[in-house]
Amino acid sequence: MTDYNELLRNGVVKRRLLRKSTNVFMLGLTGALTLLALVPLFWIIGYVVYRGGSNINIALFTQMPRPMGVAGGGVLHAIEGSIIVTILATTFAVVPGVLAAFYASRNPNTPLGVALRFSTDVLSGVPSIIVGLFGYALIVKPEKHYSALAGGVALAVIMLPTIIRTTEEMLKLVPSNLREGSLALGAPEWKTSVSVLLPAALNGVITGVLLSVARAAGETAPLLFTTLGNDRFDVGAIVSSGITNHQSIFAIIGRIFNSPIDSLPLTLWKYAQQPYPERVNQAWAVAFVLLVLVLATNIIARVWIELRKRKLRG
Amino acid sequence: MRKSLYVTMFALLVAALVLTACAQTATPTATVAPATEVPVATTVPTVAPTATLAPGSVQVNAGGATFPLPLYQQWTYAYQYVDPSVVINYQGTGSGAGKSGILDGTLDFAGSDSILSADQYTQGKDLQMYPMVASAVVPVYNLVPAKAVPTGTTLPALVLDGQTLVDIYNAKVNTWNDPEIAKLNPGWDGYLPTSKITVVHRSDGSGTTEIFTNALTAFSADWTAGHGQSVTWPVDKAGSGIGGAKNQGVAAAVVNTPNSIGYVELAYANSNGMSKVSLVNKAGKTVVANGASIASAMTDFATAFDAHLNAVIVNGAGDGSWPITGYTYIILHTTSMTDCAKASKIVEYLNWALTDPTAAKAAATLGYSVLPTSIRDTVLAKLAEVTCNGQPVK
Amino acid sequence: MYLQNLSNLRKIMKISTTKKNDVLKKIRQLFNHGDRPWNGLIIIMSVIVLVLMLAIGYMLWQQSALSRVKFGWGFLVPTNNPTWDPYNDIFQAWPFIYGTLMTSFVALLLALPISLGIAIFLAELCPAWLRTPLNWLIELLAAIPSVIYGLWGIFIFLPKVVAPIGDALFTAFAAVPVIGPFFAGPIPQSGASRLAASLILAIMIIPTIAAVSRDVFQAIPDSQREAALALGSTEWETIWQVLLPYGLSGILGAIILGLGRALGETMAVTMVIGNSINGSISILKPGYTMASIIANEFAEATSELHTSSLVEIGLILFIITLLLNMLARFLVWSVARKTPSEARA
Repeated sequence: MTDYNELLRNGVVKRRLLRKSTNVFMLGLTGALTLLALVPLFWIIGYVVYRGGSNINIALFTQMPRPMGVAGGGVLHAIEGSIIVTILATTFAVVPGVLAAFYASRNPNTPLGVALRFSTDVLSGVPSIIVGLFGYALIVKPEKHYSALAGGVALAVIMLPTIIRTTEEMLKLVPSNLREGSLALGAPEWKTSVSVLLPAALNGVITGVLLSVARAAGETAPLLFTTLGNDRFDVGAIVSSGITNHQSIFAIIGRIFNSPIDSLPLTLWKYAQQPYPERVNQAWAVAFVLLVLVLATNIIARVWIELRKRKLRG
Repeated sequence: MRKSLYVTMFALLVAALVLTACAQTATPTATVAPATEVPVATTVPTVAPTATLAPGSVQVNAGGATFPLPLYQQWTYAYQYVDPSVVINYQGTGSGAGKSGILDGTLDFAGSDSILSADQYTQGKDLQMYPMVASAVVPVYNLVPAKAVPTGTTLPALVLDGQTLVDIYNAKVNTWNDPEIAKLNPGWDGYLPTSKITVVHRSDGSGTTEIFTNALTAFSADWTAGHGQSVTWPVDKAGSGIGGAKNQGVAAAVVNTPNSIGYVELAYANSNGMSKVSLVNKAGKTVVANGASIASAMTDFATAFDAHLNAVIVNGAGDGSWPITGYTYIILHTTSMTDCAKASKIVEYLNWALTDPTAAKAAATLGYSVLPTSIRDTVLAKLAEVTCNGQPVK
Repeated sequence: MYLQNLSNLRKIMKISTTKKNDVLKKIRQLFNHGDRPWNGLIIIMSVIVLVLMLAIGYMLWQQSALSRVKFGWGFLVPTNNPTWDPYNDIFQAWPFIYGTLMTSFVALLLALPISLGIAIFLAELCPAWLRTPLNWLIELLAAIPSVIYGLWGIFIFLPKVVAPIGDALFTAFAAVPVIGPFFAGPIPQSGASRLAASLILAIMIIPTIAAVSRDVFQAIPDSQREAALALGSTEWETIWQVLLPYGLSGILGAIILGLGRALGETMAVTMVIGNSINGSISILKPGYTMASIIANEFAEATSELHTSSLVEIGLILFIITLLLNMLARFLVWSVARKTPSEARA
């Protein structure tokens, strides 16, 4: 047993103290940094609630926009537009995304598999404005009009990488004995994938879809170049005029998808730039609605996956 | 050790929440000052239309200049009552986007403050521009007086002339108390700050910039940066320039930057309650930007229209003319439209906009000037020449 | 005997069961051959994704032909006299390349320590009950739409946080010899500057880097930690000297992901960077990035050459993204080669 004084003289105790205090300091620092990172989150949410919450009224959700100088007005057109564009984008992105993920999870090392993962990474890094330019060049210019369809395609390109990535992760997490058992029972490969693997990974896939929907719902740049914006877009009016006119359901749907359309982030962007304080207030209200929708979708997705994890574990 | 860690972090969390709460109670200083209420255009209906789209209704998609956007929104809204069978959707995407949209064929008609170039006329083959209204681009400023202003007195509006404005935007005049500025503003004697001038300009391409740079070119040969929707600003090179996106960005930049000057369209200056510069025009008179001075500028150039109905109306010679004025145009294909129902609806709408008293009232209330009768008749006559599939429209 | 009866039975039944068996056999064959269409389908979908990336690259390449031919490599040359002159049809991309590189680099510099701190905290120190909520909160940061970051930036963050920081940096560093030019000029009153863009970008990429790094830390086997602790190191020493080097490649991957996000961010940056083309290298001056010039000027482009130059800037951005991803792939591949035999044990 060495003498404590000897240790002191050797500086061992000092060094030990130094190491201990560095330890406490650095660990405390990591905690502080975590809190620091949360400050902007609460600040942004708080500020949007503060400025937007006071401008929320029922008219915002139920009325079409009115020009400056006319009382009232809302953003119903943007809400309908966002829903339609998101539905289109999800339809376009989910099918290719999930199927491509099947390939990636089964064949990660083939040339196509490697190229697929590389493309997914690159696509997730492409700036959203370039995706908008792509949508313009691909669909708007040849068709000679802006449309919800073009917007859906642009958003689908943004959603695709997230869907592929999450589906691939989920498929990997499915225990291999599930697949092996299905094959042992004589089911062909495709039936195994569709009837066994997919349902097992379904919750994760849905989470991935919800997360990418949340991301796409908040994108402005791609929609700038593909959907133009439309203050007169009213699904109700199109449907009722179609019914009065005895148009087929396909014609009505075609009309909805082919017209220029507005959306929440686009409306937010436009209103925030106008000189009239009433419009700016409306912009903040829209920001509030958008933030609530996006955050709610995120939270729902995560709650879902958390519950499923608990179920699988327990 | 763990416990002390958690205690520290808890304390930091409380601090963070307190900080966030403090930030909330402070009123945001960066908002552009909310200003005079926008006058309600009482002749525009205030009740939403209850009729659904009539069967066989036509959807017209248009886009372009943001400058006349508030007016076009009023017009298209009111037009729903005049003719429920057409839905006109005008979006403020910008003059350039409007021009490329009509060239691409993705828009049915376009709005633009900026005149099509010869190349674009050739490319579009049968494009025609129709002036709708005129408005003013007005320099706005934000000055912090060098010494306190005694209560009860207000400083007069800043006065500049063409040469001084060019020198400011050329970065030749750098400080507010420069003799060139002081000479024009005896009322500001002793109040002009000594600080450098921060010059704000548009960062995005815009018809507003085109009108403004047209004026600068006309004011003095010293302005060599050219004119157009986008120019290279000498003040950027000198380091005293800030770019604001769209009119609102410039307005916000001026409001938030003490001792700065910028240029915005009249409607934006009015609705944001900004301080406007009075200019000394070509005739040597000091004028303010308002309906009368814009109308005077229009009459100065009443005969200056070319075959395409384009006219640059800056630096007018009239006594009461505002020197930085411009038309805003609608661009239309004149012979190559194939959807005749749509073509006739568009021409009807434009006729209504030019002749109907409701439309004129809306324009006046929002700060735009309608065309004088003689000019308007010229435009209407040109509009009547539009054909569709060989047949005259309407 | 039993077997005899069975085969007799089979022979008797054969007549009536053959047809049914045939039909069943045909159905089964159809199902088995369903593998082919299925495999074909997923291959086609994968090819679609691949083709999508190539199509975007091709579109960018093709639409920028005009300016590529006219300006060649001079488009990229760094110059202190930046010209972006739509009036005289002279275009040069260096100011935007500089702006993008600088803001992304500074954002990364600021975000990295914070993200690593968060990752370490979440992976190592956090009590289990706090872990899930904190994870969610950090990921919510990533979910906030870009436009809302921009709005919050303009109205609150810039005047209240960035402008004071800018003033402090100006007074502290502007006179220092080597790094002085990077802090030249007082920050504009509104706060719009490259510093603002860097700070907001840092906030936006923190969740990306933190989430991936956290996963990396959680994947490190406990044996490493136990070995280090057994040798008498403190927790921090374990993290700093054992875990970080072990997970370095994963963290590098996280950094590249975050960098990719920072490079491409458009809306928030456009709203706060001041949008000014100037020759200053200072972080306190307003600037421009590649994504924001496209956003600002594309709709208003005055000539074919102007449009083509903007698309060429998009092409440069796309190529940088490609190169970054190739670098990431290479890192992953080189690490995968090392394990298991050469992995740190």
